[in-house]
Parts: sequence; C-alpha cells; structure tokens
Amino acid sequence: MLLEVKDLDVRYDRLRAVKGVDISVGEQEIVTVLGANGAGKTTLLRAIQGVVRAARGSVRFAGEDVTTADVPSRVRKGLVLVPEGRQIFVSLTVHDNLLMGAYTRRDAGLAAEIDAIYDRFPNLGQRRDMPASVLSGGEQQMLAISRALLSKPKLMMLDEPSLGLSPLYVQRMFDLIGALNRDGLSILLVEQNTSMALATAARATLLELGTAVLAGPSGEVAASERLTSAYLGAR
Amino acid sequence: MLILQQVANGVLLGAIYVTIALAFTLTIGILNFLNFTIPPIFMLSAMTAWAAAQFGLPFGIFGPMPWTVALAFGIVVAILASLLVERLTFRYLKVRYGDATEHAIPLVSSLGFLLVFQNGIRMAYGTEPHRFITPLGDMSLHLGGIFISLPQVLSLALALIIVFSLSYLLKRTRTGRALRSIAENPDAALLMGVDVARIVPVIFILTGLLCGIAGSIFAVNYGQVYSGMGDEVGNKAIAGMVLGGMGSIWGAIVGGLLIGLVETMSIYLFGGDTVQSVVWGLLLVALVLRPEGLFGHHGIGKGKF
Ligand SMILES: Nc1ncnc2c1ncn2[C@@H]1O[C@H](COP(=O)(O)OP(=O)(O)OP(=O)(O)O)[C@@H](O)[C@H]1O
Ligand SMILES: [Mg+2]
Repeated sequence: MLLEVKDLDVRYDRLRAVKGVDISVGEQEIVTVLGANGAGKTTLLRAIQGVVRAARGSVRFAGEDVTTADVPSRVRKGLVLVPEGRQIFVSLTVHDNLLMGAYTRRDAGLAAEIDAIYDRFPNLGQRRDMPASVLSGGEQQMLAISRALLSKPKLMMLDEPSLGLSPLYVQRMFDLIGALNRDGLSILLVEQNTSMALATAARATLLELGTAVLAGPSGEVAASERLTSAYLGAR
Repeated sequence: MLILQQVANGVLLGAIYVTIALAFTLTIGILNFLNFTIPPIFMLSAMTAWAAAQFGLPFGIFGPMPWTVALAFGIVVAILASLLVERLTFRYLKVRYGDATEHAIPLVSSLGFLLVFQNGIRMAYGTEPHRFITPLGDMSLHLGGIFISLPQVLSLALALIIVFSLSYLLKRTRTGRALRSIAENPDAALLMGVDVARIVPVIFILTGLLCGIAGSIFAVNYGQVYSGMGDEVGNKAIAGMVLGGMGSIWGAIVGGLLIGLVETMSIYLFGGDTVQSVVWGLLLVALVLRPEGLFGHHGIGKGKF
C-alpha cells in the first residue's frame, strides 16, 4: 500500500474529530471518503498531510512512517493535498501559483511541465501573467490541481474538488481525475457528490461523526443502506 | 532655488523614512505584526557604528574602526538584534500558542524590547548627541544653484538600490514568492511545502538590514547620532507607511517620500513649530479620504497565522 493509516485519532481540544480511522490507498488506486458535513473528512486529510497532529495512530507513506513528519517533508515524499475551497493565491499570478506548486522541487524540466499544463488548460495559459483572482471557479480548481501536480506527487488528496462548480466543470474535473490516475497517480478523494465519487473510485470509506462506519469496494458501499442514512440521519 | 534646495533635503529625509517604512510594511504585510523594535534597532545600529568608530570593540578586542567598517558593523549588529527579537517574541509565541498574531503579546513584547534597547543605549552613552565624523561631510555638488552633498547623493543611491533589490527579491525569486504566498495565506503556503517557521527569520534579517542602512544614512548625512533618534523617525515612517497603504512596497516608498517632503516644506514655509500639526493633520485628512492608503488594499492582516 502506498498510504496506510492505522487507528488515527485527531482532536481539537476536547472534540475528537477523527476516531480510530483506518484507511489505505494502493499504487494507482482511487479511494473515496464520504460523509455528511462535519463528519471529519477534512480533518482526516489534514492529518494525513501533517497540517494537524495525530493524537494517536500512525500514518505510513511510501514505505516510511511519516506520523511525526512535517508538511514540507511529506510534500517532498510525494504526498499533496488540494484543499477544500481551492486556496489558490489570488494575489499571485497564475504562473506564480504554478511555481509555488513546484516549491519543493529543484530539478530541471519544470518549464516543460508548466507548458504542458498550459496546453491542457489554454484558459490558464492565456492568463498566465494575470492575478489568479481573474479566473472563474472552475478555472481556479484546475489551477489548484495543476499546482498540486507540479510537486510531482505519488498520491494526491482532493477535498471536495467539485464544490461550487458548474455541471460542465464537475464533469471535466472527474475526467481529469480519471486521466491523472491512468497516468499513474494515486488519489484519495473526499466528495459530497457521492454518486460520481463512487463511480470513479475503486474503494470507499464512509465517515460518521469521526468514525469509519463502512468501508469496502465502491459497489458495495453504493448499495448499502448505511450510505443514505449517513446523509439523512446525520446528527 | 531655495525651494529646490528644500525638495532635495526633503527627498533625503524621505529616503530615511522610506527605508524604515519598508521595514514596517514587510513585517506587517507578511506577518501581520507591528514590530515596535524597528525604530530602536535603527538607533542601535547608528549608535553602535558611532561607538565602534570612537572606541572600537569592548575589552580591547578591536581598536577604533574606520567609519566605513564601523557602519558595516552597525548594520551587522542591527541584523543580529532583529533576529534576537524574532527568536524571543515572534517565534517563542508562535511555538507556545500556535498563533502569534491572534494575541497582542508579540506587540507588547516588542514594545518591551524597544524600552530595553533604548534604555540600554542611554545608560551606556547618555542622551546627548554624538558626532559621527566622515571625510565626506563637506563635499558637495553644485547642481544649477542647489547644493547636494556627497553623502546625500550616496544615500539616495543606496536607498534606490535597496528598493529595487527588495522588489526584485519579492517579485522574482523563489523565496520572494514564498513570502508573498505566506502574506496571503500561510495555511496554503504550508501545503505547498513552504517551511513557514524557517522563512520567517528572512523577514527579520531584511528588517534588520533596512534599519541598519537607514541608521548609516542618518549618521553620514546629519553627522550625529543620539539615543532618541529612533522615536521621531519611527513615527514618521509609520505615518508614511499608513499614508501609502500598509503592506505595500510602493506605498511605503511614496508615503515615506511624501512625509519627508511635507516635513521640510512646512518648516520652510511655516516654520519649525508647525511641522507636527502639518504632517499629522495631512495624514488624518488623507486617511479620511482614503482609509486604505494610496496603494493599499483591504484585508491586510486578516487570518494570518
Ligand atoms: N480548526 C478547528 N477547530 C475546532 N474544531 C474543528 C476545527 N475544524 C473542524 N472542527 C470540527 O471538527 C469536526 C469535523 O470537521 P471537518 O471539517 O473535518 O468535517 P468535514 O467532514 O470536512 O465537513 P464538511 O463536509 O462540512 O467539509 C466538526 O465538528 C468541526 O466543527
Ligand atoms: Mg470538509
């Protein structure tokens, strides 16, 4: 397994936001984490990235224990998070945003990779020297994913990437995730768009108030009654 | 012609304000921290340079230094002092409470440092002015009837070099991009792999450097240094920064120059007693008309750290 999380606990003061969660992602696998608002999905991803500390449990990535590693070293090892709400730097140019994505890299070949991104997303290329604030929501999400790609990740975690996008861009976004995965990238996807997430992922984990109540192949999770009740009867 | 002479003097004074205003605007724009130790570090650097030129290092380690070496020494001391402040105010609080700027504590402890630096220097060298002698003092250029002293020319050149290098650093380098991304969103900068704790000292090094250079410009141009020199300059530099727009480099430059010009002009036109009321009155009016400053934008200092 590329990523192996065991018995992970995360606390905010007295609140246990994630309780004893196990989750894993294999090489070139897509796994999705589902759950209602406040279930602890974002907290789980932030703990895996190292932004918040694990109170208990372990995180192994690419064969190493990274439970206590800081965020920059996890990025250098190939773990990257595209955060909720995209969080692109609106005061920086589109190009500078991409360069920030490559911050931990010192190798050559970056220029060619950025050119490839501009070929893939001509809208970004045309606005490369403009502040990223001029981009539409969909374009900003493409920028956020492109930026993350430039760190040369092995595993990309995406936190609700379809949130607030038009149906056209939601489709493009899922197409992109599929394409990146076929090129070898592993993906851990948090989504509110349950049906599309389950259609894309091989396996799924359902969180309810910080606990993983259901995990298995996407087909089985999709068929489970627990899934609908998690959203309808939350809290 | 006399007016032009005043403009030249105002620009020089402004160059000192600009340099200090840049130090303020960097820490506020990027760290959301109003660093009160900037004026005393400016003073410390000039006083250190004077003492080094006069007496050399303590305990006979090194005899009196040539003025250029003494100035460089003052700049190094300013950088070290600034790093000390980072260690003991900002970093300590960040480590201890996780979030340095949500608390007034760094602000207050930087005020504490102000008093420590200032009183330390006072106890050592008194409050009276000391002469800082350079061979440049009397040399000057005639330009169509106005006198521009050699130190003035050198100072302006130095200030310009500083401004352009700083702007290059922030706009074009990897570290500069990281600093700008921290200014906007430290959380997202961290996700890019920016080691925020390692890069914060860079700002304090730059701050110390700017204070040190301003201290040198002051010492060379006015030929004297004193323990209270940071107060006036610090207040005017803050005024310049606010006038230009907090967190904006161009704001600090334009604001600092404007304050310097207004100050010399109001002395020339209305006499020395009016300076304070003219400068601060103008600032108030400007802020009523444009609260975010000339080059500022809203949202400075929200959600940092
Ligand atoms: N920084 C924080 N400090 C304190 N409590 C927090 C913090 N962030 C999240 N929480 C709490 O932790 C719990 C889990 O939040 P989290 O954001 O991880 O949920 P989520 O599944 O991502 O929800 P959403 O679907 O709304 O994004 C919630 O009860 C939330 O209020
Ligand atoms: Mg969330």
